[in-house]
Amino acid sequence: MSVLWATFRTALVEAWANRRSFWIQVSIMLANDVAWVIFWLLFFGRVGAIRGWDASRVLLLFAILTTIAGIAMGLLANARKIGELVGDGQIDAALALPVRPLPYLLVRRIDTALLGDLFFGPVLFVLAGAPTWERTLVYVAASLCGAAVLVGFLVFMGALTLFIGGRGEQADLGFQAILILASYPLDVFGGVTKVLLYTAVPAAFVTGLPTELVDDFEPATAAGLVAAAAFFVALGGAAFSLGLRRYSSGAVWTRA
Amino acid sequence: MNAYRSAFVAGAARALRAPGELTVRIAFYAIILVVFSALWSVAVDANGGSIEGYTFPAMLWYVAAAEGAVIATKPRMIEDIGYEIGSGGIAVEMLRPVSVVGFRMAAELGEALVRLAAAGVVGVVFAWAQVGAPPGGAGALVALPSAAIGVAVNLAAQHAFAGAAFWLDDAKASWFLYQKVIFLLGGMLLPLELFPDWLSDTARWLPFWAMAYIPARFVARGAEPGLLLVQTGWLVVSAAAASAVFRSGERRLQVVGG
Repeated sequence: MSVLWATFRTALVEAWANRRSFWIQVSIMLANDVAWVIFWLLFFGRVGAIRGWDASRVLLLFAILTTIAGIAMGLLANARKIGELVGDGQIDAALALPVRPLPYLLVRRIDTALLGDLFFGPVLFVLAGAPTWERTLVYVAASLCGAAVLVGFLVFMGALTLFIGGRGEQADLGFQAILILASYPLDVFGGVTKVLLYTAVPAAFVTGLPTELVDDFEPATAAGLVAAAAFFVALGGAAFSLGLRRYSSGAVWTRA
Repeated sequence: MNAYRSAFVAGAARALRAPGELTVRIAFYAIILVVFSALWSVAVDANGGSIEGYTFPAMLWYVAAAEGAVIATKPRMIEDIGYEIGSGGIAVEMLRPVSVVGFRMAAELGEALVRLAAAGVVGVVFAWAQVGAPPGGAGALVALPSAAIGVAVNLAAQHAFAGAAFWLDDAKASWFLYQKVIFLLGGMLLPLELFPDWLSDTARWLPFWAMAYIPARFVARGAEPGLLLVQTGWLVVSAAAASAVFRSGERRLQVVGG
């Protein structure tokens, strides 16, 4: 654990080393998030509430989404790059270290821009999420579970590269699909799409259930979310471990 | 063969030789269509079947055209150009006896039109299967050249924007902001008619609506020839701005090492 913590701290220091670049990237992401808030305000300003969703509820969803994106793709930036790292042979150096490769790879890089999301999400929750002690606790716990689902799913999609080859194209698609589907209220979808949101592209567990829990806490829903988080973390870890047995070195040592 | 035409053909061939990248992008476009189809279906229903004159079929065709025109260009092109300027890699391109920005734009246009064609096929099949023919009727045919002009305006504007890297150290990440401006002020996410008046008026004075809103409007509401002139005007202005920025930037570029 101390090795992983030291690696994570090094990644943080690397991101912080160029302060000007750090703040520029964070600011740009904040501006990006504000643009989405403007979109939703314009949308609901003209369209009105739909299926129980109004501007304040969607802003709560967006606060959860940005918090989760900040954790899963900001702090654990390699989660969405496993396929690319495998395809380019860049995991070689991690395999030679006396640590488990997947946790090491996950904590090795920080995406500075996405730290902007990690700042923005909690601020938006405070401003638009009607925070109480209970809601805040659920928001934090549900965001961590949503982040676990997202990381597990992204690692699983990236680890498929170990079986099918390529440079992680399917992981890119999975990443884009889950992010866009998680950006919209669950209740606008129906039929097959809704089934997909709970299975193949588990966006429902990333933002749908967490938002529902913050608004109306139900122990059974919370248990379902925790189970989904455990399942997807296990799925990602198992796919990576099994896939490593088939991995042939790309002999790229210098870019680890 | 003319150098620019060669660059255009090479760009198109490059897009066709990367079926994985093309497939991922078009699949992403299809997912967006599924999401927006669901969202607008519910929203239009909740508003009695029409919002600012847009019925659900009109809105779905609008989204298909606006998203298709934008997704044809590389989202991170500004970052790529910024990196090449920052690293000095662009100096190699300056050795050619042709305009750097003209050559780059020709190649990018070749790539983008392949993606636009692929997105067009998927968008037309999806929207037609969901809601039938485009409400714009025959005027919708104008959307094809309009989308191509929209892509060209977008490419030229991105080069003009990215040229800031000749003066700034860290302009790369600004691609994110540029994309969001197109999403909102370009009318990619919402038709301009749904904006408050002051914002809609502002958007019509900027180049971004030529990239998404205008081609989408042709499909959804029919032809308005004046809008093609607006697009052509913005193409000329954007291309001139990109050319001027690069000409000026190339004069001050200093590259160390080889």
